[in-house]
Amino acid sequence: MSLLELRNVSKRYGDFAAIDGLDLTINKGELRCLLGPNGAGKTTCMDLIVGRQRVSEGTVRLMGTDIAALSEHQIARKGVGRKFQIPSVFKELTVRQNLEVAFNRNKDPFLNMLSFKNFKGMKRYDEITDLIGLKDRSNTVSGLLSHGETQWLEIGLVLMQDPVLLLMDEPTAGMTEQETYKTSQIFNTLKGSHTLVVVEHDMSFVREIADVITVMHMGKLLAEGTITEIENNPQVRNVYLGTEGIH
Amino acid sequence: MSANIYHNRKAQWLAYIGLFLLLALVPVLFDSPFLLNQLARYAVFAMLAVSVSLVWGYGGILSLGQGIAFGLAAYGMGMTMQMQFQDPVSDPVPSFMLTNDLSTLPLLWEPFWSTPVGLALTIAVPTIFFIGFGAMMFQARVAGVFVAIMTLAMLAAWYAMAYDMQPFTSGFNGISPPMPFEFAGVSIDPYSPTAYLICVGFLAALTLAVKLLMQSKFGLVVQAIRDDPERVRFLGYNVAYYQVIVFAISGFIAACGGLCWVMVVQYVSPTSLELTLSVSAVIWAAVGGRLSLLGAILGAYLVNGLQSYMGDELQDVWMIVLGSIFIGVVLFLPRGLVGLIEDALGYFTGKSETETATVAIERTV
Ligand SMILES: Nc1ncnc2c1ncn2[C@@H]1O[C@H](COP(=O)(O)OP(=O)(O)O)[C@@H](O)[C@H]1O
Ligand SMILES: [Mg+2]
Repeated sequence: MSLLELRNVSKRYGDFAAIDGLDLTINKGELRCLLGPNGAGKTTCMDLIVGRQRVSEGTVRLMGTDIAALSEHQIARKGVGRKFQIPSVFKELTVRQNLEVAFNRNKDPFLNMLSFKNFKGMKRYDEITDLIGLKDRSNTVSGLLSHGETQWLEIGLVLMQDPVLLLMDEPTAGMTEQETYKTSQIFNTLKGSHTLVVVEHDMSFVREIADVITVMHMGKLLAEGTITEIENNPQVRNVYLGTEGIH
Repeated sequence: MSANIYHNRKAQWLAYIGLFLLLALVPVLFDSPFLLNQLARYAVFAMLAVSVSLVWGYGGILSLGQGIAFGLAAYGMGMTMQMQFQDPVSDPVPSFMLTNDLSTLPLLWEPFWSTPVGLALTIAVPTIFFIGFGAMMFQARVAGVFVAIMTLAMLAAWYAMAYDMQPFTSGFNGISPPMPFEFAGVSIDPYSPTAYLICVGFLAALTLAVKLLMQSKFGLVVQAIRDDPERVRFLGYNVAYYQVIVFAISGFIAACGGLCWVMVVQYVSPTSLELTLSVSAVIWAAVGGRLSLLGAILGAYLVNGLQSYMGDELQDVWMIVLGSIFIGVVLFLPRGLVGLIEDALGYFTGKSETETATVAIERTV
């Protein structure tokens, strides 16, 4: 069964269509890579799914229910987690506090006034700090983390939410080769147990993690297939050769 | 690696409780009605500073309108005390109304015949107003400097109203209840240890409650919202809801301050709603350290103490002095005076987290 289904989705800013009649289906348990030159509409597509932008046309369904009209926090509560292109974490809070905020089944402010639980030793916390490699940085104020660590922390935040669908916008942007490799290992661990949509530019990273790749161009779907199919697709080659080339 | 004791929660609680015990001992140590009254006023200012520390330091909401809650409560208390003096049969209408051509008590004033109802309104009206005003702002995702502008404009509107509705508020002259506040048959002399201890009691209870609240999950989410509301939203929290609650709690605290203020000065006028007071409260909190409730309290005591004991010739230029202090703090002590304490304690007990805090602070405002 499809977890996420975009049907004929468009997003227009005035006359300009950032997304133009896009269809996209993501199945449970898959890791989908979203590829496309700058300005193709990848970030906008994620914004439409999480409710940060409103669709001009078309439907967005999560597990069969239309979520296009819900507000951001409601969509998040339905199990959509989002990592932003520009990493955003709580810079004045420690790594542990960041993850504490993200972990919550209970979002009601009044109930949270009565919650003083000590977070230490919680199983999921240990698993996730292990996975993102920040275990011994628990008490570090996150504003002091390196860029790569900040990216991982944000991935950790999204995982802490325990979402059914994870949207990752350029998770390796600005990372060193080594960090990128470590990130690909994180994603490979998540594969299977989680459903992910990953926007990525780095082709070696994509080769490392992807099953199915969707290529977007000018707000439209250009091609969809395995890595070899995509690399040999003349249309894709054309688009990428026109810009920076596929590497 | 030892941690800075400044960040130790137990040590923090001890410091808070120590300070309040010290304040509570003042009437035992000094037998000066004048001093007690002055320190009671400082305790009220400290409540305002705590409300600023909560809403701005923790919540990232720069409100220049804390005086709204303070002023509304001050009028509520003034009306309550005035009506304690009036007699339902022989003298039902305050004299300033008679001189303003009102021969019967306005409906607005009727509930204040009852002291419990008057006190309830004194606190409830500002708090509910802050809920409504906050809901309006935060639902619309007003943030940053726009919050400052909107709260400022709202404050100005209330000021104008208090000033203009002379028959109801006595306008510029303000209301001077002839008798001290009386509660459960006891008259609370503004210069008495009782009045002082009530103010310190309010300050202590409110501060400790906020301190506890900020250690809960709720407090953590509030601080996360200060850092990045968008991120919090996409983690599934209703950000506006949280902001409204923090704003309302800060209004409640300021209202308690307004109530105590009129109890110890026995007078209320539009000055409670003046811009000066609300901006000063922000400065007190900034000077002491807005990220610490204790810092905000110290800021309120120190700055007001300075103003009181500065030579008379400097009183005229007080706002310039205050402004200079503020600029100095913003430039050189972004964490306020408690930042110095933090550094000093870090120097002696371990540096691990001190540096982290410094970096972290640079981001806010
Ligand atoms: N708020 C907006 N107003 C106008 N145009 C926008 C807005 N947001 C994005 N766009 C445009 O939509 C297109 C797609 O942007 P984006 O989704 O960020 O692309 P990508 O993430 O694939 O690089 C770009 O041309 C961008 O300029
Ligand atoms: Mg993008």
